[in-house]
Amino acid sequence: MNKIYTSLVLVFGLIVMWTVYLTNIKDSGLTVRYYSIKDLSSKQVSIPNVKVGGLIKPDSIMISDQDQLEVSFFVYQGNDSLKVYYYGIRPDLFKDDAEVVVAGSFADNLIVATELQTKCASRYEGDLKNIEKI
Amino acid sequence: MISQIGSLAISLSGGLILSTFFFLFYYSIKKEKIFLDVSERGLIATCFCVILATLCLLNELLISNFNLQYVAQYTSYETPLFFKVTALWAGQAGSLLFWTFIMSIYSLIYINVSLKKMKELKYWSYIILSFIFGFFLLLSNFIANPFEPVSSDIIVQNGNGLNPLLQNVTMAIHPPTLYLGFIGTTILFVMALAALISKSFSFEWIQSIRRWALIVWTFLSAGIILGGYWAYNELGWGGYWAWDPVENSSLMPWFILTAFIHSSMIQEKRGMLKSWNILLASSTFLLVILGTFITRSGIVSSVHSFTAENLGPLFLGFLSSLIFFTLYWFFKNLDILKTDNKIDSYTSREGGFLYNNLILLLMCFIVLWGTLFPILSEAWNGEKIYVGATYFNQLNVPIGLVLLFLMGVGPLLSWKTTSKSTLLLNFKYPMLVSFIVGIIYSLFFGIFQIYPLVTSMGVAFTVTSIFNEFRKSYKKSKRNNQSVSSAITKMLFANRHKNGGYIVHIGITLLFVGFIGRAFEEEKEFNLSPGEEIYFANYIFKLNSIKSEARENHYAFISDMDVIDQSNNFLTSLYPEKRIYFYWNPDPEKRQPHSELDIYSTMQKDIYSIFSAYDAEKNQGYFKIMINPLVNWVWVGGIMMVVGSLFAFWPSRRRNDGAI
Repeated sequence: MNKIYTSLVLVFGLIVMWTVYLTNIKDSGLTVRYYSIKDLSSKQVSIPNVKVGGLIKPDSIMISDQDQLEVSFFVYQGNDSLKVYYYGIRPDLFKDDAEVVVAGSFADNLIVATELQTKCASRYEGDLKNIEKI
Repeated sequence: MISQIGSLAISLSGGLILSTFFFLFYYSIKKEKIFLDVSERGLIATCFCVILATLCLLNELLISNFNLQYVAQYTSYETPLFFKVTALWAGQAGSLLFWTFIMSIYSLIYINVSLKKMKELKYWSYIILSFIFGFFLLLSNFIANPFEPVSSDIIVQNGNGLNPLLQNVTMAIHPPTLYLGFIGTTILFVMALAALISKSFSFEWIQSIRRWALIVWTFLSAGIILGGYWAYNELGWGGYWAWDPVENSSLMPWFILTAFIHSSMIQEKRGMLKSWNILLASSTFLLVILGTFITRSGIVSSVHSFTAENLGPLFLGFLSSLIFFTLYWFFKNLDILKTDNKIDSYTSREGGFLYNNLILLLMCFIVLWGTLFPILSEAWNGEKIYVGATYFNQLNVPIGLVLLFLMGVGPLLSWKTTSKSTLLLNFKYPMLVSFIVGIIYSLFFGIFQIYPLVTSMGVAFTVTSIFNEFRKSYKKSKRNNQSVSSAITKMLFANRHKNGGYIVHIGITLLFVGFIGRAFEEEKEFNLSPGEEIYFANYIFKLNSIKSEARENHYAFISDMDVIDQSNNFLTSLYPEKRIYFYWNPDPEKRQPHSELDIYSTMQKDIYSIFSAYDAEKNQGYFKIMINPLVNWVWVGGIMMVVGSLFAFWPSRRRNDGAI
C-alpha cells in the first residue's frame, strides 16, 4: 500500500476509534440510556438523563388551568406506569393511548421531560374503526 | 373484478420470477442462448405484471373499494382524489408493491437500454435482479398483500382516511422521490456485482453506471431535501433535520453514493480504484436495505418506525445474504480489480477525490454508528443507549467543514500532481477572499462561535474557487469575440459534466450558508389575548383577534397577529391556525388536532409562528415564535444541487476516451 492510502486508512481508523470512545464515556452528554417503564419505576435513585417510550394512560392527561403549556400525564407499558411532567408545546398527536417517547430527568418516580415526541404521521397503521359487524 | 386481476397479477409475477430462475439455471448448464432470452422475457413479464397489479390497486383506491382492507385503512370517501393516489404508498403493503413497481420500471430501462450495450452482463444481471424481485414478491404475496379483502363478517361503510399531516403536496412528492432514489441503487448493485462476477469492466460499463449513479443521486438528494422541507413547513418544531434513525437511513446511502460518483471519476480517467468502486456501488444498495430493515423492524426507537408490522427478520435475512454474496465474489475476483496505476501525490486531483471519499465514509460511519448504537450497546452490556443530536452534530460538523473546504480545493488540483507554483497561484484568490470574509464576519459577530466563522470562510473559499474555474473557462470561450451570453452558454455546455458538478457544489455551499443560521436561532413560547402584545427578538407581536370557522373537512381557530419591527414599522401579519380534523366525530379520541403554521419567509430570516393551544374560557391563545435565520438558503441550495446534477446527467456529445 502506498503512503497516501496508508495515511488515509490511519486517519479513518483514528476518527473511528475516537467516535467509539466518545460514545462509551458515561455522562459525556452525547448519550442517553433508554429504560423500560418497569426498569425505571423500580429505581429509587435519581437519574439526570433518561429516555422512555410507552403509551399515554387514558384519562391521565392533566392540563394546568393557569397555564395550558403545563401538563402531567402517565405513560404506561403493560401494567407498569410512570408519571411525566412536561412544560411546553405538545405535539398535535398527543392524546390518550398515543405512543410517546419522553426524555428528561428522573427522580421520585417522576420524569421531568424536556423532550416529548409522539410517533410521526409517517406511521400510518391503525385498526379499522369505521366498521359494522354483520 | 379489478381487485381480482390485481391479486392475480401479483401471484403471476411470483410464478414468473420462479420460472425465470429455472430458465437461468438451465442456461448455466446448457449454455444455449434461447434459455437466456426466455429468462429475459420472464423478467420483463414479471415487471409488467407488477405494473398491472399497481395500476389495479390504484384503481381500487380511486373508486374507494372498501372491500379491500388496504383501501379501507388508508382512504375514506372524504379523502381528496389526489391523496387517494398518494395512499398507494401510505401503508406497508402498498409501499412494498410500490417499491416493486419502481424497481420494475428501472429494470425495464436497464434491460432494454443499458444491457443492450453490455450483453456480457446479462446472465448475472438477471440472476441478481430475479433474486431481489423474488424477495419483494415473496413479501407482497405472502406477508403484506395489498389485495387482502376485509374479513367476510364485516362491512366497511367508510374507510379510515389519511392522516391530515400527510395531506400536503410536499409529503405527497417526498416519499416517491425518495423511493426513486432508494430503489435506483438496486441497478447500481446489479451492475457492480454483474461486472465483478463476469470480470467485465468495459468503458460502457463505467459510463453507464455513472449515469445511473447521477440520476439516483438526484432523486435521493431531492427526496431528502423535500422531506426536510415538509418537516419544516408542516410539523411545527421549526427544524428540518432531527437525526432520527429513519432520516439517517436515507443519509447513509447518500454519503456513499456521493463518494462513488467522485471515485468512479478516477476509474473513468485513470482506470484505478475498481475494487473500491465496486464496494461503494454495492454498499449503497446494502445501506438502503439496512435502512429499510431499521424502518420496518422497529428495532430502534424512532418517531417514524413502522413497528406494528414486523418485517425485520426477513429484511435482516435478505441483507445478510446480499452481504455474503457481495463479499464472496469480491474476494474471489479481487485479482482482476488490481491496476498498475498508483496515486503518488498528495496534491493531485485523484488525491482530492480520495480525501473526499475519506470524509464521506467517515460521516457515513458516524451516522451508522450513532443509529445502530442502541442495538450494539444492548447486545454488548444489556443497556439500550441512544445518542442524541449533540453526538451527530459534534462529530459531523467539523468533518463536514473539511468537506466544504475540500470542494473548493478539488478544482484547484491537477491530475497526477500539482506543482508548488501552480498550487500557490490557484490558492491565492480563494484564500484571500476567505480571509476577508472571515475578518468581516468577526467584526460583526465576534469570534466566539467558531463553527459559523469557519463555515462562512469555507463558503467564501469554495465559491471563489469555483467561480475562478468558471472565469478561466469563460476566458477560453470568449476568444472568438462572441457575445457575453453566447460565451457563457458555450462555456457551460462545453463540459456539462464538470460544470454540472460545480453547480452541485455551489448548491452544497448554499446548504452550509443555511446551516450557519442554526447558530443564531431564537424561540419563545407565550400566551396572548386579543389586543395584547409581546416584545421578542427586536419585534413586537400583537394579537389582533382569534376567530373560528367550520370548513369542509376541519374546524379552525385562526389567529391574526401583526409583526412590527424595531423602527415601529408594520412588517407583516401572521395567521397561524389550530385546526381540528374529524371534529364532527362524537368520540373526542377520533378528533385530530393540527397546528397549521404561518411563516414570514425571507432570504435573511424566517419568522415561524405556531398556534399551539386555545383556551376558550379566557379567550387566550398559546403561541410559539421562532426566528430562524437563513433557512431559505437550504432550499435554494437543494434546488441547485438537483439542477446541477441534471445538467451533469445530460449526455455530452464529446466522448471521453480515458483509460479503464
